[in-house]
Amino acid sequence: MKGIFSVLVENRSGVLSQIAGLFARRGYNIDSLAVGETDKHDVSSMTIVSTGDQRTIDQIEKHLNKKLDVIKVRRLDETKSISLEMMLIKVLYNNQNRASLIELCSVMGARIVHVTAKSIVVEIHNTPDVVEEFMGLLRTYGIVEVQRTGTISMSKG
Amino acid sequence: MINGAEAMVECLKAEGINRIFGIPGVAIAPFYEALYHHPEITHVLVRQEQAAGHAASGYARITRKPAVCVTSSGPGATNLITALATAYADSIPLIAITGQVDSQLLGHDVFQEADMRGATESFVKYSYLVRNANDIPRIFREAFHIASTGRTGPVLIDVPCDIQKMELSKAFAYPETVNIRGYKPNIIGNGQQMAKVIAAINRAKKPLICAGGGVILGNGEKLVREFCEKNQIPLVSTMMGIGTVAKAHPLYFGMLGNNGKPYANRAVANADLLMIVGARVADRAVPRPENLEKSLSVIHIDIDSAEIGKMLGPTIPLVGDIRHIFEALLQADIHIDTGKWIEELENFKKTTVDHRVFSDRLVNPMTLVQTLSEKMEDTAIYVADVGQNQLWSADNYVMKDGRFLTTGGMGTMGYSIPAAIGAKMAEPDKQVVAVCGDGAFQMSMFELATIAVNKVPLKILVMRNQYLGLVREHQEKVYQSHYSGVELHAYPHYEDLARAYDMACFHASSNEELDGELDRFLSSKEAAIMVCDIDSANNTK
Repeated sequence: MKGIFSVLVENRSGVLSQIAGLFARRGYNIDSLAVGETDKHDVSSMTIVSTGDQRTIDQIEKHLNKKLDVIKVRRLDETKSISLEMMLIKVLYNNQNRASLIELCSVMGARIVHVTAKSIVVEIHNTPDVVEEFMGLLRTYGIVEVQRTGTISMSKG
Repeated sequence: MINGAEAMVECLKAEGINRIFGIPGVAIAPFYEALYHHPEITHVLVRQEQAAGHAASGYARITRKPAVCVTSSGPGATNLITALATAYADSIPLIAITGQVDSQLLGHDVFQEADMRGATESFVKYSYLVRNANDIPRIFREAFHIASTGRTGPVLIDVPCDIQKMELSKAFAYPETVNIRGYKPNIIGNGQQMAKVIAAINRAKKPLICAGGGVILGNGEKLVREFCEKNQIPLVSTMMGIGTVAKAHPLYFGMLGNNGKPYANRAVANADLLMIVGARVADRAVPRPENLEKSLSVIHIDIDSAEIGKMLGPTIPLVGDIRHIFEALLQADIHIDTGKWIEELENFKKTTVDHRVFSDRLVNPMTLVQTLSEKMEDTAIYVADVGQNQLWSADNYVMKDGRFLTTGGMGTMGYSIPAAIGAKMAEPDKQVVAVCGDGAFQMSMFELATIAVNKVPLKILVMRNQYLGLVREHQEKVYQSHYSGVELHAYPHYEDLARAYDMACFHASSNEELDGELDRFLSSKEAAIMVCDIDSANNTK
């Protein structure tokens, strides 16, 4: 199963490595990790997405709570939360497929942010599933480079 | 204004610390200069930093308060890591103060620089790198709070040399309160869970308590004992839980696990309700936890919620401090009749045949531990090392009203001698005996100097079988007796070694000699070593 954790942590040096170390040490997966400062200067927010069986996901939550630099852990339910991700992707094109590529971007709500003679850079922000799908569709054109932010999540209510 | 080093000493005084264990070096020299002017804090110079950590561990376990060890930077600090890992695995509250290179040199790989926060990340409950001397009072206050509350454990404070020399910009004031927003240990058990626990006990026909090290760490022995007696609930213990009750207690059915008593394991297998109290349910105690949860209800009580559900999914989890929980359980309305169940357990105990055969050539290790612990004073402290000696000790130790100290989590060889030094310094009036094998002895024998210099009248009993016995046993069973790298031979000459440190030396090489030699050994006023020769053919199972 998938576990989405929204974690508030002290904004201090070494905290990210502590959290990453916890996952590494105990053999938990990190599918994605996004970190940023919140509206409070001394608090950072992390969204960590992991997969594992029920016991593993429960243990992750407990071990996150055990960390003294972790202020709050919330486990987000996929149906009751909003998850978004942003991706920058550089794709090759030629005269034959240029039009279909532009059309695909348009259909998927992606924005072309840079164009060169051979490649374009496209930006998309959407749910992780859509971002994944979009990347899949671009494979046939030839992907040069991908940068993803990782998922950020928030409960709806 | 005082400097950082003086502030560190003031913090220790404010915490009531009057003894610390360590080895100085240049990076911690300002602190030792401050210490020089404060003879009210006794510094015990050990001979290797790991021993400072183990001695502090023994001291902490007996005083039941955090104990302090100090090292310099680089190799001095890294030498401490095994002791920190040992304390962490056994949840022993330690404050480790390490010197560090000057702040502006951090990260430059200068002489004797080691990233101690990084290196100890998975072996401490929390760690600090002090960046400003003004933070020292707050950091020390927090460190002692963190080490001694919730699930206790070691806390590291890494202090760069320049910070120790830096003057505080305001007058020293030790904070009265602590506020760490990410740390609020859950002390009081949840009321609803508590009600479920009581209901489950009332439903049970064959309840059994499994007492772990957490019972002792949480000062809960007396309450657990009272609870068992009041409701006639039998108990078994893990190795770290030895000491919850006396061995002769009618409700005690021994240590469980693959090194434990077969009748203790039969008790677990036949119970219908198992109350695990302050135990990790680790592999040596419960090899196949998944079988357990199928066959019986499990109540798991622990201060650390992450321990619950780690190995098995308990029917009823209950997080909280053992004292709070058992005080409440003692007040609870519990009415069960366990008469038949206890009869059944007594029958297990009587009919379980111990198939192990111990060699009576030289000294029989089972007889040795039994005789030694029976002869020891009621309140004595027995410090068992790691290896076959530990398993024979745990299996045969006759617990009365004393303490049984060992490292069950990390299993660090060489623990017993430095830990016994700490224990004896904490309780000078109590008899303290370190029991180790000849392998473990040689991992800490340099500490004989600390014993001699400080005139610590503790007793060291060495079971000499001339092998790293537990590995030998493993090689015998698993690798067709291909003994590889395990033979120690008869060295050292213990009598010469004892003489080198002004210690008395006793020796038994037969069961007949044992009685008299043990009497002389235990009654000697000074520190003493006793060597007991054991046949290397003796195994633990």
